Amino acid sequence: MTVKVLIVDDSSFFRKRLAEIIATDPRLQVIATASNGEEAIREVQRHHPDVVTMDLEMPVMDGITAVRKIKTIRHTPVLMLSTWTTEGAKSTLDALEAGATDFLPKRFEDLSSDKIEAQRKLCQRIYQLASGFQASQSDIPANRATNSQTQVAAAKPEKSFNTTPELVAIGTSTGGPVALQKVLTQLPASFPCPILLIQHMPATFTPSFAERLNTQCAIRVKQAENGEHLVPGTAYLAPGGEQMLLKGRPNNLYLSIEPGDVKETYKPCVDLTFDSIAHICGSKTLAVILTGMGSDGRNGCESIKKKAGKIWAQDQQSSTIYGMPMAVAKAGLADKILDINEIGRQLAELS
Amino acid sequence: MALDTDDEILQDFLVEAEEILEGLNEQLVELENSPQDADLLNSIFRGFHTIKGGAGFLSLEAMVNLCHKSEDLFNLLRQGERFVDADMMDTFLKVLDILNTMFAEIKSGQYPSPADAEVIESLSAYLNNDSAPASAPEPEPEVVEEVTPPPASTESSSADAPADDEITDDEFEALLDQLHGNSAPGIKDSEKAPKEPPAPAASASSSSNSDDITEEEFEALLDELQGAKKAEAEKPVPPPAAPKAAPSPSTDKAAEPKAPTPKPAEKAASEKVEAKAAPAKQAADTSVRVDTSRLDEIMNMVGELVLVRNRISTLESSFENEEMAKAVNNLRVVTGDLQTAVMKTRMQPIKKVFGRFPRVVRDIARSLKKDIDLELRGEETDLDKNLVEALADPLVHLVRNAVDHGVEMPDVREAAGKPRQGKVVLSAAQEGDHILLTIADDGAGMNPETLRRKAVEKGMMDEDTAARLTESECFSLIFSPGFSMKQEISDISGRGVGMDVVKTSISKLNGVIDIQSEVGVGTTLSIKVPLTLAIMPTLMVMLGEQIFAFPLVNVNEIFHLDLSKTNVVDGQQTIMVRNKALPLFYLSKWLTKGRTDGKKPEIEHVVIVNVGTQRVGFVVDVLLGQEEVVIKPLGALLQGTHGFAGATITGDGRIALILDFPELMKVHANRGY
Repeated sequence: MTVKVLIVDDSSFFRKRLAEIIATDPRLQVIATASNGEEAIREVQRHHPDVVTMDLEMPVMDGITAVRKIKTIRHTPVLMLSTWTTEGAKSTLDALEAGATDFLPKRFEDLSSDKIEAQRKLCQRIYQLASGFQASQSDIPANRATNSQTQVAAAKPEKSFNTTPELVAIGTSTGGPVALQKVLTQLPASFPCPILLIQHMPATFTPSFAERLNTQCAIRVKQAENGEHLVPGTAYLAPGGEQMLLKGRPNNLYLSIEPGDVKETYKPCVDLTFDSIAHICGSKTLAVILTGMGSDGRNGCESIKKKAGKIWAQDQQSSTIYGMPMAVAKAGLADKILDINEIGRQLAELS
Repeated sequence: MALDTDDEILQDFLVEAEEILEGLNEQLVELENSPQDADLLNSIFRGFHTIKGGAGFLSLEAMVNLCHKSEDLFNLLRQGERFVDADMMDTFLKVLDILNTMFAEIKSGQYPSPADAEVIESLSAYLNNDSAPASAPEPEPEVVEEVTPPPASTESSSADAPADDEITDDEFEALLDQLHGNSAPGIKDSEKAPKEPPAPAASASSSSNSDDITEEEFEALLDELQGAKKAEAEKPVPPPAAPKAAPSPSTDKAAEPKAPTPKPAEKAASEKVEAKAAPAKQAADTSVRVDTSRLDEIMNMVGELVLVRNRISTLESSFENEEMAKAVNNLRVVTGDLQTAVMKTRMQPIKKVFGRFPRVVRDIARSLKKDIDLELRGEETDLDKNLVEALADPLVHLVRNAVDHGVEMPDVREAAGKPRQGKVVLSAAQEGDHILLTIADDGAGMNPETLRRKAVEKGMMDEDTAARLTESECFSLIFSPGFSMKQEISDISGRGVGMDVVKTSISKLNGVIDIQSEVGVGTTLSIKVPLTLAIMPTLMVMLGEQIFAFPLVNVNEIFHLDLSKTNVVDGQQTIMVRNKALPLFYLSKWLTKGRTDGKKPEIEHVVIVNVGTQRVGFVVDVLLGQEEVVIKPLGALLQGTHGFAGATITGDGRIALILDFPELMKVHANRGY
């Protein structure tokens, strides 16, 4: 499959560079370019691209408005190319809320210090976005099969899970910001346990994201700080660029924020956090894996599962990218496979 | 490490960024007039943003840093968290200058050197100080009308503003400009202002809405500010600048009519820019970069082709073959199309030159303390790249002149019953195969009497000659070398060298310059130049056995003349054309050899030619007709021959010299035109 890409950017310089980079990947093909939101909408209607790369700041119509309109025309994954600054975070999160699927830095050096590597990553992301998106859209029958299967399997441990968990941990990646918002906004302020959030996101974005969730949710949401003790009714967002580990004993849980290994692909990494949880209070933990590319979280869920913790995974239809939840479901770890809204509803019932 | 200037990526960047930079130049000046125009702020923000993005891609760190800071600041501006003031404007313009320097460095293959730390610092200061100034301007507009002392809190909050201890000249000027700018004529309600010196901030801002404050009073206020509350030195600036003060409903009628007027123009202008930017960008995608020398080469070859076509169509007329005629006709059409197409590749919008004027006018107006509105028209008019470049300097000069000499000081204007704000209109339009450029001001105009007197004083002519000059001849005097209109010489213009040079450069482009002026109403200068320099429509004439080409743009009219009806005035043979005496010359006397004056026919052909601002009649032997010719420079052998713009090959394969009238007149008639 060749992935058809539409490039949207008001700078002809950038359009050209992007097209050049994308052309280096034989799996990708640039079918059109647009210099503003309005043109982008026209091109989407005309060419039906598989992925749209979208700039934020453009004349005539900006990226966020364009994303919103594209969503109403044709379901197309949109990759925001934004500045990875605190300022950029706000508008990027706005774009995600408007319906953009994922985001990458406009300065490719932010992706990797190696230019070639950064370009490869960009292409890879575009490809995955298209295939992951198509997987979550098309394979409905296959999805049903796994769905019912795991649900049968889930029936059993459901009974043993009779007490409320002492900790909820949610791991997610692509599509996560919106998914987390959908889940957390349903929770009451009196939510009985602390929540750990691990969202793959750059360091410049997580503070804005935590702040944003905090204003939208009844529960308190904040970016986790080193040495912070966990309090019920509060969600702790793992800071970008670092690893968040759980420390202490049950009843006296606190967080350790560590730089982590340079080689780690994800910062923060769901697996690392989940592993640290498994060691301390695995049995009393409910781990949730939401939409995301790749398979981060599968090993962590396995550790928690071994300690008799509970695992929920988001279902295929509601996932933006059915990667991480699929990895968990395929490994047979999921106690429940739920629609995104259902996850929020059932979590709320815990209180 | 040096940059690879041949790198296509770098070239792409330069092309795009330069376009943006030109836009910024204009937009920033526009911003000064409408500091809260959201579209404008957005578009400036995007400009810096895009340059930053490209520079980042190429790791031009110095540029990234500068653009980044500016972008951040504009982000605050567009979100309404800060407001533009004159000081900030100056910083932006400095940023622009630095960016331009950086571009020059990049173009010459060097990494740009880091920006002036001072500028970066002042940008950072604006960025970090967002809380204090943001809160200060809000309460200020309220106290604008009631001249009550401002609450103590305002003063203390403004104390942490970024303040120098001294008010610099620039700042003072900025304040003055603000006052002039925001005040509308004819409002008389703030005699109180000077009576309330204990509340300097309040009175300063209240007087910003009035007209009656004199400069002395203002200076007194300033002194007070400086002495008592140094930290507040900059504070009075933001309130008048914060444009909320002007259109706010509490403001009285005087301010109201002023606010809406600039708006539509601004809007229209920015819309035009936007609309224009979109197609241009799209075109850039499919564009190929071609060296101008290659275009010149192509143009040259097309020129040759035109000559061959001319040749063939001349030959064809001697055959009476219909097929042949058809083929030749086809050739004619195709060559014509090709010629137009190639010419178009060399076309550039005059915007390239016009774009710099808002800044030029702003700077001069500021240094002269004048208030001037510059209007640009027909910026999309296309003309040959070489012409665009060649016109830049003369136009700058003329616009400077209009601002410096043309438009009067605001007080003078007011006394003459004109609006305080002067207007300069710069326009371009295509008229057939030439471009008409006009620079019009609504200033004092020129008095022919003054010019006459001046000419006599300078010993350029005696009184009788001066008295005989027509009005337009008087105006043309300003193009004479060493003739300055202004009594005292300013450093902006008025040295009298300029206009002379302007005229020469326009003449070199085969252009014609014309002045119209009315005392008290204004002056309009119009320049006519051909669309392109490479191919020229000419009038072919014969002198004896030789063919000469008159640039058609110079040719005014042609008629048969009974040579017995000429008069001699001042030793110069003249003819009367519609009650106007024009000097008459026999071109063959100048350009051909071995002609006896004896056997002159009674009726001769006379071509009236525009030379500079004058009209002159030339007697020629035979009129051949109009022909488009390609100008070939004269070879090295003919170096130093004056009076010829070049040569060309005519349809019948002969060589024709193309006349350069201004030169010709200088050499043969001892007259400067």
